[in-house]
Amino acid sequence: MNENLFTPFSAPTILNQPATIPIILFPTLLILTPKHPINNRLATIQQNLTRFTLKQMMMTHNAKGQTWSLMLTSLITFTATTNLLGLMPYSFTPTTQLSMNLAMAIPLWAGTVMVGLRFKTKNSLAHLLPQGTPTPLIPMLVAIETISLLIQPVALAVRLTANITAGHLLMHLIGNTVLALSTTNLSMALLASTLLVLLTILEIAVALIQAYVFTLLISLYLRNNT
Amino acid sequence: MLSRVVLSAAATAAPSLKNAAFLGPGVLQATRTFHTGQPHLAPIPPLPEYGGKVRYGLIPEEFFQFLYPKTGVTGPYVLGTGLILYALSKEIYVITAETFTAMSLIGIMVYGIKKYGPTVAAYADKINEQKLAQLEEAKQSSIQQMQNAIDTEKSQQALTQKRHYLFDVQRNNIAMALEVTYRERLYRVYKEVKSRLDYHIAVQNMTRRKEQEHMINWVEKHVVQSISAEQEKETVAKCIADLKLLAKKAQAPLVIYNLPFLKMKSLFHIVREQNLYRPVKCFSSFLLCL
Repeated sequence: MNENLFTPFSAPTILNQPATIPIILFPTLLILTPKHPINNRLATIQQNLTRFTLKQMMMTHNAKGQTWSLMLTSLITFTATTNLLGLMPYSFTPTTQLSMNLAMAIPLWAGTVMVGLRFKTKNSLAHLLPQGTPTPLIPMLVAIETISLLIQPVALAVRLTANITAGHLLMHLIGNTVLALSTTNLSMALLASTLLVLLTILEIAVALIQAYVFTLLISLYLRNNT
Repeated sequence: MLSRVVLSAAATAAPSLKNAAFLGPGVLQATRTFHTGQPHLAPIPPLPEYGGKVRYGLIPEEFFQFLYPKTGVTGPYVLGTGLILYALSKEIYVITAETFTAMSLIGIMVYGIKKYGPTVAAYADKINEQKLAQLEEAKQSSIQQMQNAIDTEKSQQALTQKRHYLFDVQRNNIAMALEVTYRERLYRVYKEVKSRLDYHIAVQNMTRRKEQEHMINWVEKHVVQSISAEQEKETVAKCIADLKLLAKKAQAPLVIYNLPFLKMKSLFHIVREQNLYRPVKCFSSFLLCL
């Protein structure tokens, strides 16, 4: 039994040795890189999924944006696998740590902004003002848009952290409920376990969706700036 | 590269030279040899196409086979049950909230795999099949091309065997052309000769006709000359009598015709219509005599 509800989110240790980095690198073992043209089913499916996501994501970018394809594909793969692995019992999810998500979001966001300012200064600055605003509102709107621009990395990181953490917490809580009720009221325990099942399904979806949203937003920022 | 050869030759000749480091930095690069290990003596065995068989998705089949001689079919199951109960009862595995999350997660995973597994596997197989089919198609098309080339070559060779037909036909054509030319020329010769001969015949005919006419004229002339005066008179009187008779005969039919027009008719027409040549000739000769 955990001391408090947040022990699953503390830095993982294996025999008191910090194990964060191996845990973060673990999903790479699950991604196969076969060298043959024809592989077994798992490798074929992984290859197909990668190709599918790559095509979907990078189709809308121009040549300059497509130089980011490796970055974005690896981002979505990493986030999706990490989130899904975090659903396993007793596992540690790196994406629940704000530090990790900020470390992912800020460089990528800053990269898109800098690319935009460097190569298309006028265009990227023009994004600060939405089309069709009445003239008296312009100064205020520019300020608001700048603030919204500056808040983008924080929003990205916090969104991912909060969603995953909240999902894990809920699962723990409902698991505790089922555990407590299993000794007193079995039918309620069964009801709660149904809830748990539904929640698990939701969590799987959330894991995938959050990865997708993260990557999509960055690609959106990129598209605005190339 | 020649330097490398020289250096390796020098190394074999004097083994101490190989370890001499003062020969220069480039020598180290030059004397680095590749492929010093034993090469594979046989092709590396291919990767297995399917993984090993597992029971319940976790435990390999070999484990069950391993325990079968000693404990039979139920051996591994009894072992598993015992282990689980031992862990639970001794609280080596503690039932916490995570247990239920694990149960729900595993339940969902099993359900999902059982329901969608075959479809996904079939999809993966289809993709692989398509790739293989593409490669196979390339190979088959290349083989087909070769086969077509071989067949074309064979047919060309067979054609050369049949060329003599063509030559025969050409020979026949030439012979026919020669024959035709020969016959044409023969005909032309024939025509020329015939025309020459015709000319001679025509000349002959003409001379004969001329002689005839000349003879007739001569005879006529002499006959006319020989006609005496009273014979002449006699003949003329007879002619006049004949003419009178004829005139009488001709009067009646003349009424039917258009008389004014008829009056304009010349004497020549009258003579022609009424066959008066002979009497007119007599009359003319009579006039001439006068």
